[in-house]
Parts: sequence; structure tokens; C-alpha cells
Amino acid sequence: MSASGIRLRPAPERRRILAGAFGALAAVASGPAALRALAGAQGRQAATRAGLAFGTTVSLTLAGARGADLEPAFRAGFAAIRAVEAAASLYRPDSALARLNRDGSLDDPDPLLVEQLRFALDLAAASGGAFDPTVQPFWTLWAEAAARGERPDERALIEAVARVGWREVEISAGAIRLARPGMGVTLNGLVQGYAADRVLAALAAHGIADAFVDTGEFGALGRHADGTPWRLGIGGPRRGGDLAAVIEPFTGFAATSGDDATVFSVDHRDHHIFDPATGTSPQALSAVTVTAPSGLLADALSTAAFVLGPERGAALVVRYPGCAVRFTAKV
Amino acid sequence: MRPSAKRALRPGSAKPSGRGDLRPLFAILWAFLLGLASASAGTLDRAGIERHFPAPLVVGERDDKIPVWPILKQEAGSYEVIAYAFESIDFARIPGFGGAAPNLLIALAPDGSFRDAKVLSHHEPVFLEGLGSEPLFAFVEQYVGLSAKRPIRVGRPGARANGAPPATTVDGISMATASTRVVNETMLAAALAVARAKLGFGAGPAGLRVEAKPAFEPLSVAELERRGWIRRFTVSQSQADQAFAGTGVEDADPGEEPFADLRIAYLNVPSIGRAILGEAAFARLMRELGPGDHAVLVVSDGRWSPIPDDFVLGSIPDRVTIQQGGLAVNARDAAWERRDLAPSLPAGPWTILKITEAAGFDPSAPWTLALKLTRERGQIFPEKISREISTDYALPPELFLRQSPDAGPDWTESWRARGWELGVIAAGLGLLVPVLVRQRGLVAQARPFSLFRLGFLAFTLGFVGWYAQAQLSIVTVVGLVRAAFHTGDLGFLLYDPPSLLLWAFVLVTLLVWGRGTFCGWLCPFGALQEFAAWAAKPLRIRQVAVPPPLDRALRQAKYLLLGLILGAAALGSPLADSLGEAEPFKTAITLYFLRSLPFVAYALGLILLNLFVYKGFCRYLCPLGASLAVLGRLRLLDWIPRRAECGSPCQLCKVRCRYGAIAPSGRIDYPECFQCMDCVTIIQDPKQCVPEVLARRRAHRAVPQTVAAE
Repeated sequence: MSASGIRLRPAPERRRILAGAFGALAAVASGPAALRALAGAQGRQAATRAGLAFGTTVSLTLAGARGADLEPAFRAGFAAIRAVEAAASLYRPDSALARLNRDGSLDDPDPLLVEQLRFALDLAAASGGAFDPTVQPFWTLWAEAAARGERPDERALIEAVARVGWREVEISAGAIRLARPGMGVTLNGLVQGYAADRVLAALAAHGIADAFVDTGEFGALGRHADGTPWRLGIGGPRRGGDLAAVIEPFTGFAATSGDDATVFSVDHRDHHIFDPATGTSPQALSAVTVTAPSGLLADALSTAAFVLGPERGAALVVRYPGCAVRFTAKV
Repeated sequence: MRPSAKRALRPGSAKPSGRGDLRPLFAILWAFLLGLASASAGTLDRAGIERHFPAPLVVGERDDKIPVWPILKQEAGSYEVIAYAFESIDFARIPGFGGAAPNLLIALAPDGSFRDAKVLSHHEPVFLEGLGSEPLFAFVEQYVGLSAKRPIRVGRPGARANGAPPATTVDGISMATASTRVVNETMLAAALAVARAKLGFGAGPAGLRVEAKPAFEPLSVAELERRGWIRRFTVSQSQADQAFAGTGVEDADPGEEPFADLRIAYLNVPSIGRAILGEAAFARLMRELGPGDHAVLVVSDGRWSPIPDDFVLGSIPDRVTIQQGGLAVNARDAAWERRDLAPSLPAGPWTILKITEAAGFDPSAPWTLALKLTRERGQIFPEKISREISTDYALPPELFLRQSPDAGPDWTESWRARGWELGVIAAGLGLLVPVLVRQRGLVAQARPFSLFRLGFLAFTLGFVGWYAQAQLSIVTVVGLVRAAFHTGDLGFLLYDPPSLLLWAFVLVTLLVWGRGTFCGWLCPFGALQEFAAWAAKPLRIRQVAVPPPLDRALRQAKYLLLGLILGAAALGSPLADSLGEAEPFKTAITLYFLRSLPFVAYALGLILLNLFVYKGFCRYLCPLGASLAVLGRLRLLDWIPRRAECGSPCQLCKVRCRYGAIAPSGRIDYPECFQCMDCVTIIQDPKQCVPEVLARRRAHRAVPQTVAAE
């Protein structure tokens, strides 16, 4: 499970860190040998297909009757991921979102991009601007400073804050426009959750009733092949720590935003989630996990709640039916 | 008597042409025109890749843009990329010595090192059953652990043990130099293509290395500026203001003219770098740069500075950017001490930008230096507004050596290294041609000529064949056909200069004399057979008389074999390589009989057969000979002299011809003629040529007869 927020460049270590920190239980993906044997006895099988997307690894685990051909479902699942990437991945220089950032405007935008961007702007309004899809200039600033071994200076931060503002994104019929030069949009705060939605929908359309997907955030349908429920482990705040909790049974969606993903300082003070008002990372929390009926909601709310902090974050999440939030204080 | 006998000779009569003989040539031309590179893609599917990367490794979903498979490792429920696996044929199709491209399975780790390298398929003749494929497999395994970020060269066998840099050298294989280079190119070019797409390095032209030539020309700074080798770039106040037009800060920054006055220079070119830095400092800078790195000087006059006052030495300046092909080139301040500049350059702030080889910068192509100008708007929280002004810089490409590790140095190197062999072979050919042309010269003197012939054949076998490894072979013809039908690339020919020289010579002689010049004089295996037959003379082995109908049928066999081989090659079938093994050249000449038993037995068997059926292989089976015989039909000269008596009544030449190339009618069957010159020697020798002997005897007899009558 992963942190969402602002991420521009692939962070190859991310998976490893997360495996320790928030590691989903190994049982989730493949199941211990004994359970698999049990599943076999029941005439059921599970198969996992991994891949790369959104600058990290993703995986789909499908359960079905033994002998069933899962290949079409795998193909559909990955096709759904590729479609979301083509619309909104910042790891792809040719994605619709990357073109919007480059040109400042985009005609005939990909509907998948419009859907995510509308949702992001709605949540920006609902969260009083704590969630803001236009914080991309902060990333550029911090990443460049980090490459020099520095933090950005105050003036540069102030200059960047001036280029952030969700109200400056105009979505009209047939076009998206960024009103000010130097702006940049990121949907990394919700795109992986949205991908989980799209993948599970594609799988369901192929008759898959039991599936577990990891697109960086998590989603699950039904049960494991052996009939046991899917389980999702919530890690402690730092790698190597014990699991803080296990969600069992796990169905629906879960997303985590944490200070462990791309960090700019060893003490995890500076990382990839930014307060749109200051251009720095919020200091109250180490991680926020949100469970929700959609991946989009889970992912975006976890980012928003991370910025808002425990009290105001909880207040935001309770306004959305079927959502729950878990905070891990800053360590 | 018959003093007119000589006039009956008909040397040099032009052969009527324009019959169906041109068809083979047209067929070949047509094949070349067809040179459509059929896009045969990689061969492995998911299951195939999984066989090479078995559990616990996980083969991820194939990339949707390029045929690359992520190889993952699962750890505590999540995944980590350990490599990107791909087939070289999808990224670098470099034809090998057999004309077809080898296909390698390569796994590139995220850090740019080779994690795995295997041969999936290849058509390199020397490895196909020759040395066996094991040495090739071992060769490819050397790449595991090496980094694709640096060009890797193929050294001599055992180079690494003898001090070659182990991070950038792999040990070569003797007798397989050309093939190993093709494999090396394939490895590097494919890895760079994937690295560019997946790992973000190697942005420049794949594998191309461009270096300034070492030539130094003492030029003054003024002259360099005049030539544009030091670029002067001036930005006036009004130009700078114009850049900010419409921002509200068009005239926020007034000051003296000029606003900026820069000198830009690419330092690696000695004529430029030495003029600016002086000889010692230039040498020091070049030492400090790694091989393939570049240095660019930007020095300013005027108010604007390329580096801010608080600039940190060694960091990446954000006021100046080098761009090429629309992409920013990663350039970092070289942290060079701030002195040593030529006095005629401005004394303002300056930086030497260092561009590492990995950036893929090509100094021989134009590039751009972009200046970032920044102004502030507002008082309390001033907003920074930046605009870019850029200038182009280009040097004449002649100043550079463009080395593509993919192709350039490798084949030129083999031409340089084998220059003296070429010289010796050329000298040999230069000796041979006049001897063959002057039929009344050495050829007419039976004993000296046969000594010359033995000497020349010894040269052909020992030097051309065993030493210079220039046994022409059907393999090359197969390569040409494959190139025509599939790859369209004839580059493989360049790797073997002695063979190419011989091919050129043979093609010319084909037009003049026919196939015999090669088959009778320049084929090392042919020479070997001739020596074997000569050495066996004391054994008094009698030639087996092949009944003429069988003989005629067997002669056609070689054309059948040739057709099968070329057909298989055209269809892209590996059968062409197997059928090509009918040719024992690789066993006997290339590999000195150091080969597995069946091949050695076959080659020795042919040599033994030759004792009973003289050059039976050449006449009945040799596909190369067949192809030359076909092309030899374009021959312009009927160069073997004939007399009216030839064939009727005289049968001497026909009987003495060991190749059966003279018909009972006396007609020469040129496609079967090996140009041994035996019949020419006979006809030029009044003591041998029967019509002359008879004529002389009659004249001789006439005088004593009268005496005897007394």
C-alpha cells in the first residue's frame, strides 16, 4: 500500500520501504502453500500477475475455478491500468496530463483525466484547499534542491506558492486550461486509487468475483481462492516495524499516505506530500490510511487528511459515507 | 610443314553474349532490390521468458510500449524490479557473419548492469558446429556484471588476464573475431536502446562516441572568434527587455550596455582548449575529464553573469543550460580553479561545464546554450518571472572523430590490423595475373611453370588459407542472399578484408577467364587436394574412370546443392547453414582440422577421394564452385587457344585434362575449367602439341627419305 501525493519521478526503493512499513501480508498475494493446497482441493485456483505502472510495481491476484482461463481478465486488468496511465501518469511524458503541464492547456482531454481532475477540484473545494492538485511546482523545486543536497530557499518557496492554486484550473467543454504560467497539475494523490477502481471494474466485467489488486493502493473483491477472506496488513510508521493492524476481511479499497515514500530528508520531515499553503510537508502525521467504497475516494481522502491533520482530517472523512480513517502520529 | 599452324590459333576471340546467360545476374540483382528487411520480432512469449527467469523470480506484465519484460522479486507481499529482460533482435538487428542477426536474451538491472545474457539464436558459421556454440555462450556470459553505461570492447583472447580493463573489456575468441564483434555490438546497442527507454540514461545517439581529433592548430583567440569556434553572444538591454514583453517588467532592469556579453567554447578541441587555457592547463583538464566527457566554457562580460554570486562550485548552474535536439544536456560546473584563462578573453565570471559521457552529448552536432533571465515583479512578495534567450553553437564536424562502437572502429580496425596481409595477397595476385596473361611466357615452359604453380598453390594454402584465413566460402554467398532477402545489410563483408579483396579479384577474373582462376589458383582447399594428389604420386594410385554419363550427372549435383542452399537462405531457413557444411573449407582451412570427428572424417574423405577421382569434390559437389561457374558464364574471353586439329583428330589435351573440361570435339567446357594451364602449355610446346610434332616429323622425314633412297 502506498503513499499518494505528489510524485514525479520513479522511486525504485519505494516498494522495499513499504514492504517493511505497511507491508501487505504475504498471504494476501499468493497464500501460504497449505492454503493453496486447500484451495486446490476445493477446485479453485489463484494466480498473480505483476507489472510496472505509475513508477512502481503493481500486481493483480485473481481467484477462480480451477482450469478457468484467467488470461483475458489479466489482460483487461492491465489494459485498464495502461488507460489510466495514458490519461494521468506523470511518469509518461506523453500522457494527457503531462501534455497539459507542458502546454498549459489541453484540447479534447481524455475522459479519464477529466473525471479525476473534476473529482480532485471538488475535493479541493470540500477540503478548503488542503487537497490541491496543482502542487506540482513544489515537487520540482524540492527535487532539484535535493539533487544539490539542499532545501529550497524561502524565496523560491514563496515564488512556488504563487504558482499553486486549484481555482486556476479551468475545465470547460472540450478543454482544460491552466490559467497561470508555471503551473503544474499532479494527480498522484489519487491516480493509483482510481486505477484500482478501474481494474476491479474491468475484472468484474470479465466475470471475476474474487480479486485483490495492488496498484500502489489496494482494492479487493470477494475472497481468496481457499475461501478465506482477503487480509490487508497496516504497517507501523517505519520500515521493519511490526504491523500496526490487519484489516480482515478486506473488501473495498484502502489507501495510505505516509511520510515514508519519496523523502527529501533522512528524518522524514520533508517528503512528497505538501501543504499547498506553504510548500512544505505537514508535520503532524507519519501516515494516514483511509478505507472507502472507491479507490479514488480512499486515495484522495488519505492525502487530504494527511495535510489537514488528525482532527480536521477525521472531520472531513466522516462526511463521506462508508469511509474510515486511521492516523499514525509523527514519529 | 604447315607453317600456318600458328595462325590457326584463336586466342582472345570475343564470346557472343546476350543469351540466357545473364539471367543469374538478373536474379541476383533482383534479390538485392528486394532487400526488404522483414521485421521478424522477438521469439519468446511469457512462458518462454519464464523458462529463463524461473520462480522465485516473477516475470511481470510486458511493457505496453516496447517489448521489455520486467523481472521482479517478491518480498513480503510486494515486488521489486531486479531487471528488464528483452530480446536483442527487437532493438538491435545487426547482421552477423552469416548475414543473419544474432538474437540474445538480455536482462538489464536497474543500475544499468547486465544481470543476464544468453544466446537465443545465431547463424555465425564459425560457431555452428565449428568451434561449437559453447565458446560463444561463454563469451556472452562475460557481460554479466558489466555496466552498459560504458562502451565495452572485445579484446584479444585472454585480454582481461593480461591487463585489459576488466570493466570495459571482454575476452575475444580467436578465429571468431568478426562474430564476437557483431555479438558485442548487438549487446551494447540493444542495452542502450532499452536503457534509454527504461533507465533514463544513454539519451544521445545510441552508442555513438564523438571525440575531438587530437590535431592542434595554433590559433589566436581572435581567429577562433572569427571562425565561430569561440562563440561570442551579446544580448543588448533592449533584447533582454523584449524577452519580457507583456510581463509588466519589460523595463525593470535598466543598466549599461551590453546586458550580457558571453564567450562560449567547446574546450575538448585542442586548437580551442589550448588557446584558451594554455597547454599545461588544457592537458590537466583533459586528464581530469573521463574518456568521452566534454567541457564547455562560458565566460561573461557585461552585467549579466552565468553564475550567481552565491554559486556553489561543482553544482548545476540554473542560469545556463546546454540543450541538444530539444533536450537539456546534464552539465555540471567542473569546479575548475578560477584562473588560467587566456588574457584576451573577458575577465568576468565564468564556468567550465562538464558533460559526462553518459549524457549522450554529441559535440559535432549543433547545440544550444540557453540563458535564463529572471526579473522580479512586485515589492513585498516579489514574483519571479523568468525568460530564456538562447544561442546556437556548432563546430565543423571535421574536427571530430565519430566512433560508433557499433560499427565504425571495428571494421576499420580490422583493415588496419590486416593491412600487411592484404599487401602480401595483393602482391601474390599481382604476380599471378601476368603469368596467366602471357601464355607464351612462363606458361609455355613446362617445368619452370609447374614449379611456379606448386609454389603459388603453397602460398594459397599456407598464407591465404591457413594464415590469413581468406578461404572464400559459400557462407558469404549465403550471407549475401540473406542480406538481400532479410537484413539488407552487407556490413558483415567489411570485417574480413583479405576475403573481400579476394572476392573483388575473383569477380573481375570471373568476367575475364571464368571460375578457373579461383578454383584452380586461389582456393586453399583446392590447393590442399592438389598437394595430396602430388604427394600420393609414388603410390601409383590409378584414377577411377567415371563413366561419362555418370560424370555428366554428377557435375550437375553441385548446382542442385547450390540451389538448395540459396533457396534455404532466401527463405530464412537455418538449413542453409547445415547444407553449407557440405563444404569442408571450415574444417580443413579455418579450423585446421581441429573439429569433431565426423567433420574431420568428411574432409579427409574428400581429400582421399581426390586421389582416385581428381578434385571430385570441386567438380561434383562444391556449391561455391557451382555459383562461380554460373556467374562465370558471363566470361568475355575464350582464352584457351585452339587449333583446327583440336578434337579432330587430336585428343591429347582432352585426355590430359584432369578436370574433364575438354569435350571430345575439342571444345572447352569453361564452367568446368580450373585454369591449370596444362592444355595451354601443351599447345605452346612444339614438342608436345601433336599437330606441331607431326608437322615437324613430316618435315624432318622429308629430307632423309631422299637420302635413304640412295
